[in-house]
Amino acid sequence: MRSLPTGQYLPGHSFLHQLDARVKILGLFLLMAAVIGASSVQGYVLVLMVVAICIQLSRLPLRCVFASVRRVCWFLLVIWLMNALFFAAEDALFSWGIFQLSRGGMRQGFRVVSNVVLILLLGNLLTMTTLPTQVTTALESLIKPLKLIGVPTEEVAMIISVAIQFIPTLMEEAELIKMAQIARGARFESKKLAERAASFLPLVVPIFISAFRRAEELALAMEARGYRNAKNRTKRKKEPLERHDYGALAVCALICLVQFLLR
Amino acid sequence: MLVTGKNISFTYDFGGAAFALQDVDITIAQGEFVAILGCNGSGKSTLVKHFNALLQLQQGALKVAQIDVGNTEEIWLLRRLCGMVFQNPDNQFVSSVVEEDIAFGLENYEVPRGEFPARVRSALALVEMDGYEKRAPNSLSGGQKQRVALAGVLALEPEIIIFDEATAMLDPSGRQEVVKIMHKLHKTGKTIIAITHYVEETVAADKIILMHQGRVLACGHPRAILTDLDLMKKAELIPPLPVRLYYDLQQAGVNLSNCPLTNEEFVEAICQFRSKT
Repeated sequence: MRSLPTGQYLPGHSFLHQLDARVKILGLFLLMAAVIGASSVQGYVLVLMVVAICIQLSRLPLRCVFASVRRVCWFLLVIWLMNALFFAAEDALFSWGIFQLSRGGMRQGFRVVSNVVLILLLGNLLTMTTLPTQVTTALESLIKPLKLIGVPTEEVAMIISVAIQFIPTLMEEAELIKMAQIARGARFESKKLAERAASFLPLVVPIFISAFRRAEELALAMEARGYRNAKNRTKRKKEPLERHDYGALAVCALICLVQFLLR
Repeated sequence: MLVTGKNISFTYDFGGAAFALQDVDITIAQGEFVAILGCNGSGKSTLVKHFNALLQLQQGALKVAQIDVGNTEEIWLLRRLCGMVFQNPDNQFVSSVVEEDIAFGLENYEVPRGEFPARVRSALALVEMDGYEKRAPNSLSGGQKQRVALAGVLALEPEIIIFDEATAMLDPSGRQEVVKIMHKLHKTGKTIIAITHYVEETVAADKIILMHQGRVLACGHPRAILTDLDLMKKAELIPPLPVRLYYDLQQAGVNLSNCPLTNEEFVEAICQFRSKT
C-alpha cells in the first residue's frame, strides 16, 4: 500500500501555492519564531489559529498535511515523557529513582511537543505548496549575501533542495529496513521505553549506509546528465514580489510582534 | 563507427592486480542495438561508464562520436551525446515533480527556459508518459519511474542511449515496458547500448558483446552467441528457454530444423517438425 506523501509538493492554485517562495520561506521563519516565542495560553491560541488558517489557505487534504505528524507520533511521545519525567520541578506528583513526574514537567512536555508539531506543520505547508525548483531559487536568492564571505550559495541551495526531495525515499527505506528486521525477530513494539529506544539503534547503521549509497548513485546520475556546478545552469527569471506577497510577509511579521508583546 | 575502443583496461584497485576490464576492444556502429551481456562482476557497467567519461580511461584508447573520452574539455558534450539510464530509478531523480526532473539536464546545458515545456512534453511522449508532467516520481510504478528517468535523458536529444541494467530492479511488466521503449527508440535511429544479465532481453539485439571477468568473451549476432552452449557456460549464463529445450529435445532424439531463440520460433519449429513426421 502506498503511503501518504510526506511534505511532497502537491499541485494546486490556492493562496499559499501562489505566494512567492521567498515570502513563504521568510514567513516560515517568522512564524517559527512566533511558535517558539509562545509562552502563555493566549500565545498558543494565536499560533494555533495562525496554523489552522494557513492550512485552510493551502486547500490541501488534511490527511496529507498531518501525515508527517502521524509518522513521528511515537517520537513525540518519547519527547513528552522525557520532559514529564526528568523536568526538575517542585510540584512532583510522584518520584521513583531518577524519575520524577511533575505538573511542571508535563506542561513543559506539552510545550515542546506542541512546538515541534506546529513547526512540522508549517514546514510541510511550505514544501507541499512550493515546487522544489522554486525552493532552490528562493533559497539561492535569500542566502545570496553569504556569497560575500565565500559561501557557495548556489551549491548550498541545490544541496538543500535535493535533500528535501530525498526525505520520503529515505523514510520508505527506513520502513523497509524495519520490516526486514521485524522478519528476523527484531521487536519494535516493546512497551518498555528503554527497550523500544534500543531497538531502533540497529536501524541507524543500515539507513546511513543506504543514504550514502544513494547519494553516490545520485551524484553519478547527475553528472551523467551534465551537472557541473550550480553556476553554469539556466537561470530562472527573477519574479518581482507582488502586493499579496508583501501583505503576507507583513502579516507574518505582525503575528511575530504580537506574540512577543504577549510574553 | 560511433564507438571504437582498443585495449581498454581498468582497475578500481590502484596498483593492484585485480582488473575490472582487461584489454577490451569494442566497436559499435551508428544506429546499432548492442546488448552487453555478462554475469555480475563481468565488467559491463565499468565498460560503459567509460563511454560518457563517468570513469576515467586508465589504459587504452576510446572514441565516442569522434570524441576522445580522455579529452576533459569535451566531457560535457560527450555526456550530452551519450545519455545513460541507471539501474535504480529512485536514485536518479533530483526533483519531486516529473517535469522539473526532466528539465534538470536542460538546465545543466543552459537551454533557454522557454524551450523547456516543449522538450519535456516531447520527451514524455517518446516514453509514452504524456500527461505525467505534474506527478511525483515516487507515486509511479517501477516501470513508469524508469521511463521518466529515460525521458530526462531523452530531453537532451542524445545520439547514444545506454541502459545500465535499467530493467534489473523492475517487475516483469515494468521490464517489458522499458524494453519496448528501447526498441521504439532504436527504430527512430538512436544507438542503443543495453547492459543486462537477462539473456531474453538480448535476443532482438543487432549484436551481443559477451563479457566475463573483465574481458570480451565473444561478439556477434545473438543467434551465434546464445545458441553456443559452451560459450554461455563459460560466461556463467543460462541460454534462453527455447535454446535449452532445443538441446533437450535433441538429446531425446527429436531434431528440430534449427535452434530457436524465441518462443515464437520454438512453436514454429515444433509445427514444422510435426508436419514432417
